[in-house]
Amino acid sequence: MRPRWRKVVRDLSSHWFRTVLVVLSIVIGIFAVGVMLGGREILLREFDADHAASIPANVTYRTDDFGEDLAARASEEPGVSAAQARRSATFRYRWDDVEENRTISLEAFRDFEDISVSRVVAADNGVWPPAPGEVVLEASALQVAEYAVGDVLSVERADGETVELTVAGFAHDINSMPAQFAGYETGYISFGTMASLGEADRYNRLSLTFADDGISWAAASRLAIDLRERLFESDGVRVYHTDVPEPGSHFLGDIFSALSLLLVALGGLSLGLSAFLVINTVSSLMAQQVRQVGIMKSIGGSAGQLEWLYVVMVGIYGALAVAIGLPATAAGTRWFTDFAAEILNFRVASYATPAWVIAVEVAVGLAVPLLAAAVPIRRGTRMSVVTALNATGVGGKHFGHTVVDRVLGMIRGLPRPVALSLRNTFLRKGRLALTLSTLVLASGVVMAVWSVQASIERTISDLETWWNYDVEVDFAVPLDAASVAVAIEDVDGVVASETWPVFGATVVHADGSENESFVIVGLDPETDFVGPTLVEGRWLTAEDPDGIVINTDAHDSESSLAVGGSVTLRVLGQERSWPVVGVVRGQMGGPAIYCSAGLLAEATRAPGVTRLLVRGADSDAEAERALLADVEERLSDAGLRASATRTRADLAGQLREWLGILVAFLVLMAALIATVGVIGLTGTMSINVMESTREIGVMRATGAQHGAIYRIYVTEGATIGAIAWFLGALASYPLSVALVRALEGAIGMPLTYSFSWSGVLTWLVLMLAISAAASLAPAFRASRVSVRDAIAYE
Amino acid sequence: MPVVSLRGLMKVYDTGEVPFTALKGVDLDVYPGEFVGLIGKSGSGKTTLINMITGIDHPTSGEVIVGGTPVHALGENALAKWRGRTIGVVFQFFQLLPTLTVLENVLLPMDFCSTYPLRERVPRAMDLLEQVELADQAHKLPAALSGGQQQRAAIARALANDPPIIVADEPTGNLDSKTAEAVFGMFERLVEQHKTIIMVTHDNDLAGRVRRALHVADGEIVEERIHRERHTG
Repeated sequence: MRPRWRKVVRDLSSHWFRTVLVVLSIVIGIFAVGVMLGGREILLREFDADHAASIPANVTYRTDDFGEDLAARASEEPGVSAAQARRSATFRYRWDDVEENRTISLEAFRDFEDISVSRVVAADNGVWPPAPGEVVLEASALQVAEYAVGDVLSVERADGETVELTVAGFAHDINSMPAQFAGYETGYISFGTMASLGEADRYNRLSLTFADDGISWAAASRLAIDLRERLFESDGVRVYHTDVPEPGSHFLGDIFSALSLLLVALGGLSLGLSAFLVINTVSSLMAQQVRQVGIMKSIGGSAGQLEWLYVVMVGIYGALAVAIGLPATAAGTRWFTDFAAEILNFRVASYATPAWVIAVEVAVGLAVPLLAAAVPIRRGTRMSVVTALNATGVGGKHFGHTVVDRVLGMIRGLPRPVALSLRNTFLRKGRLALTLSTLVLASGVVMAVWSVQASIERTISDLETWWNYDVEVDFAVPLDAASVAVAIEDVDGVVASETWPVFGATVVHADGSENESFVIVGLDPETDFVGPTLVEGRWLTAEDPDGIVINTDAHDSESSLAVGGSVTLRVLGQERSWPVVGVVRGQMGGPAIYCSAGLLAEATRAPGVTRLLVRGADSDAEAERALLADVEERLSDAGLRASATRTRADLAGQLREWLGILVAFLVLMAALIATVGVIGLTGTMSINVMESTREIGVMRATGAQHGAIYRIYVTEGATIGAIAWFLGALASYPLSVALVRALEGAIGMPLTYSFSWSGVLTWLVLMLAISAAASLAPAFRASRVSVRDAIAYE
Repeated sequence: MPVVSLRGLMKVYDTGEVPFTALKGVDLDVYPGEFVGLIGKSGSGKTTLINMITGIDHPTSGEVIVGGTPVHALGENALAKWRGRTIGVVFQFFQLLPTLTVLENVLLPMDFCSTYPLRERVPRAMDLLEQVELADQAHKLPAALSGGQQQRAAIARALANDPPIIVADEPTGNLDSKTAEAVFGMFERLVEQHKTIIMVTHDNDLAGRVRRALHVADGEIVEERIHRERHTG
């Protein structure tokens, strides 16, 4: 090997600490960009693939009982490609010895091996299909509690009897609402088991797929209504809900767009951060090499030869970083994808990173460092020999010429080491600017992410003001309001209660098409059981009850619902026109419509109430659970069957789970970006101190003890950290506002902006600690070098 | 015919408010095989003068002709190649590359200037190290050598491309007297081999032993002494 290339290799190996820092800086850049972009691509691809493989339904009808003949007829209908009937029922149950009633939605299929629409597939653990007396749980139940094969669920029948079901395994159903968001678990049982639970041996759900793959939502909606009439209404079978989703869309779509946006935004920021980091480290590398450049030029090395020398050196850094970064990124992406898949309840068939993402990773590893190094290398190797030979370290160490220098020089009364640290900080202004750019960006992003998180938390708190009651009980069938009130009248701790009719409702368009099912809630216009946050118009009033208020989810999903307009709603088969009088902020529970209970009863011919709300004396989670247990017991004693129950704490918890996905990802991203920042800080501080080795030698030669040297460099590091924190805090405000606004667009819900002062203060402490620590280690190394070697340091 | 010819050489440094004139119109001819010593106080302009000859620095005005080449007119790249082949530079602080062994340091100028076929380079470098009595240290890093050994290695490196001229800036300034004597003896032997040597020194004893001593003060050559007999110490 030629001597010049040996120099490259030896420079890399003998300055191993610097090599590790530079390579680590590049690796972390590759990792951050790769995990975010690769994670996003794999997430979207695998989610879409898993969703498509499940053969999602174009329409699902929730109906009264129907038989095999109707199910068979459905698949023969023109325009229908497949039909799948099932029975679904909701039960209360207890799990092992846990003293708490929970809700489970149990679904029975006639043939588990041949589910043609909204497929359910067996997970790796346990058996499939479930035998009589067994239940297979949807795998998202594991997000809620540690269920295991062999556990026993005591399921309560409508008549109060208990049937024990053994957990036989787990299955995966991408089309079922994950348990942590739904507030109930989903399980699969045989028709025999369903019969043992007192349910009829008939279907009450029908899911269809349409033959036209590219069908529009409007066409699907029209076909769904047409089929409803032909299949059910002509047979006298009542349809409670007609659910026509946007073809190909999934109910987690909003969360996915938000995540996707976050990943792209933070991936881009990581790329910028990584580029700054590399520019910084390569610039300092060149600064350290200036004298050697002078020597090599004085013995015949041309600028072109030296340029190549350093290009190869940077190329080797890049190649090493790529060699480490690609597998590390693949592992990180895999972990990230698994994390996301578990939360979002989908299966990952392939972790293969798209080629273009790998190309970006390689570019970040090789091209970015080379591009970043181009200017410093050119400047370093084109420097005149005399300038290079006379360089005392980093170029341009002229202190005292600028206003900042003079101001620092005028500060009196500071201890000498502190004054020296402050002046040292501003000695290399170019380096300081580069270091600060990296750190300010990292700090800004980390603090902005904290503010986004604070905004989400604040939004959750605001949303919680909606629930002004402690316990909510849903009934499987409409009940007489008076009998419900009588059943719970003696329950201790009940302060107030209300009963509401809650049904499915669809918007009927002028062309006869209907939109997907909303929930319509009938309540007393003067109720204080809910605390609506008005977005537009007004809330219901007793004086003028003839109107509906919609929530923001309904407003976003149905364009014909506008304040001042009127809309035809179909509820329990009855159509009525309603004026829209207001919009309230939704609780992420889906589209909902609120109207007067009296008017809803009138419109639906008074079938009864389906929801009980109870306000207790105490509102802590434990008191709410105790109240719910008492209420449930009384209802059961009265023969009133609850299909689902929730406490206010449960409802708020579901909301937190829902928005918590974003928070979890944001925290993950912030941690990754903070790591980039911390490594950047450590690297630049270390390089700053390494460049000061000669000064350290001089200080030690003039009597400085190790402790004094540490104090000088730790103070310098902390000063840089504090400046970066301050500028980063300023930058974090516009950054966080932009991120929050983008998120609002993605999840389709207004968020309450909240600037995270605690995040700003936490980051200050972290920055000071990290910058001090990052300076301490290299200062320790430098101070251990002999005075002679320090002064001769290259 | 002079191997080095300086005419009206001026160098002005812009050091802020008042420009500093380091060389004030120096004229000088150096002939092949001469051993020239430049003496003078610190800041007198000695180093600036040799930096002009090596092309390490550029004159503000005037001409520098070395071996018939107008050095003042060459660009940085051309200068680097020309310098590597024509002039061997020896520094006060040796300036060996710390991550290369002694042998590799000597090989480096041949590598940069492609002056010898690849297979001849190592034998030639070893031969040069033999001449400076460092063959047994060839595979050590500079940090493992004493100051005198490092300076001898630097001289071997300066000779790598067999340049006709050696320019040395205080080559003994960082050495004890015994080692300085050995290094000076080496220069004397090079003169015997018809190399032209221009050496900056503070040492009056050594200055008295060169063929031609030029006294530099305030950017001008103020005195020239020719010593008829060389002392071989």
